[in-house]
Amino acid sequence: MTTLWDTTGTAVVKALAAERRAGGAVMSGLALTLVVVVEEKQVGEAEEAARIAASVVPCRMLMVVRRQVDAPVPRLDAEVLIGGRLGPGESIVMRMYGRLALHAESVVLPLLAPDAPVVTWWHGPPPDVIAHDPLGIVADRRITECSYLPDPAGALEIRAADYLPGDTDLAWTRTTGWRAALAAALDSVEGTVTGGTVEGDPGTPSRLLLAGWLSARLGCHIALESAVDAKGGTAISGARLELDTGRVIDLKRADPRSVSVKGGAGPDTVIQLPKRSLGDLLGEELRRLDDDQLYGEALATTTGTSGLTERSGGRRHVWQDPAEQAAAPT
Amino acid sequence: MATELTEHSHNPLRDPRDRRLPRVPEACALVVFGITGDLARKKLLPAFYDLANRGLLPTNFALLGFARRDWGDGDFVSLAEKAARDYARTPWRDDVWDQLAGNMKFIPGSFDDDDAFDNLAKTLKDMGHTHGIQGNAAFFLSIPPAMFPVVLQQMQRTGMADNDESGGWRRVVVEKPFGHDLESAIELNTLVDDVFGWRDVYRIDHYLGKETVQNLLALRFANTLFEPVWNAHHVDSVQITMAEDGGIGSRAAFYDETGAARDVLQNHLLQLLALTAMEEPVQFIPSAIRTEKLKVLRAVTVPEDLASYAIRGQYEQGWLAGERVAGYRQEKDVPEDSSTETYAALRLGVETRRWAGVPFYLRTGKRLPRRVTEIALSFRKAPHLPFAKTDTEELGHNQLVVRVQPDEGMTLKFGSKVPGSMMEVRDVSMDFLYGETFTEASPEAYERLLLDVLLGDAMLFPLNEEVEASWAVIDPLEDYWAGAQPHSYRAGEWGPDEADEMLARDGRVWRRP
Repeated sequence: MTTLWDTTGTAVVKALAAERRAGGAVMSGLALTLVVVVEEKQVGEAEEAARIAASVVPCRMLMVVRRQVDAPVPRLDAEVLIGGRLGPGESIVMRMYGRLALHAESVVLPLLAPDAPVVTWWHGPPPDVIAHDPLGIVADRRITECSYLPDPAGALEIRAADYLPGDTDLAWTRTTGWRAALAAALDSVEGTVTGGTVEGDPGTPSRLLLAGWLSARLGCHIALESAVDAKGGTAISGARLELDTGRVIDLKRADPRSVSVKGGAGPDTVIQLPKRSLGDLLGEELRRLDDDQLYGEALATTTGTSGLTERSGGRRHVWQDPAEQAAAPT
Repeated sequence: MATELTEHSHNPLRDPRDRRLPRVPEACALVVFGITGDLARKKLLPAFYDLANRGLLPTNFALLGFARRDWGDGDFVSLAEKAARDYARTPWRDDVWDQLAGNMKFIPGSFDDDDAFDNLAKTLKDMGHTHGIQGNAAFFLSIPPAMFPVVLQQMQRTGMADNDESGGWRRVVVEKPFGHDLESAIELNTLVDDVFGWRDVYRIDHYLGKETVQNLLALRFANTLFEPVWNAHHVDSVQITMAEDGGIGSRAAFYDETGAARDVLQNHLLQLLALTAMEEPVQFIPSAIRTEKLKVLRAVTVPEDLASYAIRGQYEQGWLAGERVAGYRQEKDVPEDSSTETYAALRLGVETRRWAGVPFYLRTGKRLPRRVTEIALSFRKAPHLPFAKTDTEELGHNQLVVRVQPDEGMTLKFGSKVPGSMMEVRDVSMDFLYGETFTEASPEAYERLLLDVLLGDAMLFPLNEEVEASWAVIDPLEDYWAGAQPHSYRAGEWGPDEADEMLARDGRVWRRP
């Protein structure tokens, strides 16, 4: 491990090269570069998640912590590790102070693994417009977390307005288990779904995305029910599908690890659906590097945005100075 | 033949673009005959636990064990739990196990016991209601081939093998050996195919479940870089090696009857050869791939001069990995005058436009220095080198090596200038290690193959005709070897000297894997 205080981007690149040489077994098969944008108080959480995800998909992890944008003098501190605390890959944790925080890409660009895909993950409130953050511009896949915003419906609308192929949100990743369970329950069942409900914590966007996905796929209205889930604090606590044959498929969270399934083709049963760690969710995202069209469709249906899935192309950076924004009267 | 996986197509929640949802089979049951055997304990049961743990088994799934033991369900569950705990790859989770264990059933009985099979048929029928398996069942025959006729006949008698009668699909999984020569293989294939129908027969060659083997198809047919040089114009020779450091273990009775050629060459090595040498399949579907593999296997020729190009060996006592090991004839239960080979090396040709004139050297052996399986393509040397002769003394053939196990990955070997004021070209290698770029733990071959059986995906399973074509290659060798004594080699060596001489005769050397 190399720790550099008050350093420059060039010194970080040199330190990484030196660590690679000293490591002996140089990682030759980097699949991607993961850029993590995070606030200081969440660094520990993000490091843990990146460590788990890196064991699934070895990657070069660049963590950018922006601090004190108003600090008078720009400054860069960096920590370069290969193996160890942050998983088997190469990791660089960088703290950027002052105006440098607005130009984080100047440090990050030379550190990206050559010609490998880049994934940027904002662990914290996502930018309203991804084009404002240059770290989102360089990325092939962008992972946001709407659950950091107080109003889930509003947060998804912002994402829908800003959506381009390659965007996903961890609120969508959180629905995978439920989506698999619902799809499995509907296997080998005769009839057409005419309606249903999704029940969950009103504070989470996952509930909305699951309902949006169901209604996009099934072509019927899916009602939302609020339930403050007392059993393990998971976002979604149940889902029901009503069929024209009179059959009702009912999935309900039984405890933090499992979900009961009633009304499927087989006998009633209980399936394992444990709450997943942040690292698991991130690992799932990194496994796939093409854009997730189903997320686009679910997001479009959830927010009622038309034409969202037809969008294409990339983003261009739009300069925005938070200092000017703060000074301007709103 | 239909592509596959059409069964879920009517479910509007399934979408081929949805790569996040796992491929989960339909509700089904799996019946294992010979559940108390080694294979079941070390491979099958742990693979099932791993599949369950990864959420890849359907919600309605039942596992039935059949064996001649006076057991209840409880005894079966405890055997399975021990097996899963000892050999599973994924971490232990009680709730996953409890759920799996709740759907396990043991059917006691011997294979000639009509009552036991009636009981099994009835249990499967009942499970349609109690477990919602909808008549879907796969039968895993983890039993000696000698038992096949009686078991298959029982299944035919009770109608268990009949798709229409059961109202779902019925599949059968068989393990190698698929016979011991062409005649017995045809007999066995006819028997199994008659009872189940050839489409529903899955022959497990666990090598084909390995990631690198599947990657060979991706490497060849998804890239533009390799295919243009993948032919006799550029390839000088191909070496396919499967070496084991272990001895014969407790398999003496089986092994002494079989030998290395039948045990490994006929199936694993010829399958690897087929995948290496096959033409591009018109589509990435089982029938197309099997067709191309079959074409290659039928084009394989055995050398006329068998004395020089079909070498077999038997290990003598020696030192391996710092330990003294006994010779083959001194192993327990092996006859003192055994002439069974534990090593076989062979030169084959593939008589197609693409490969005419390129020798394929295959070798396999036990008690070799290390356990390794690889496919190495050695390219022709450059027709003209502008360097002085002394500059390129250390330059060998360019090589592309596909490492099947361990360290799954690829190596590309080529010449590079040695730093310094002199022009000196030497071989260097460039490595691609699977574990480094992709998931840390690739699934066990058995996990993948069992899942494919339940999904009805026959891509990775050799077809009856492939097995027969492979035997057609091996039979003349066995005829030639019959009655002769194998050459000897010391345990811990890379085979007998005659195998080295065989390559030296062609002006080549074996690659040290």
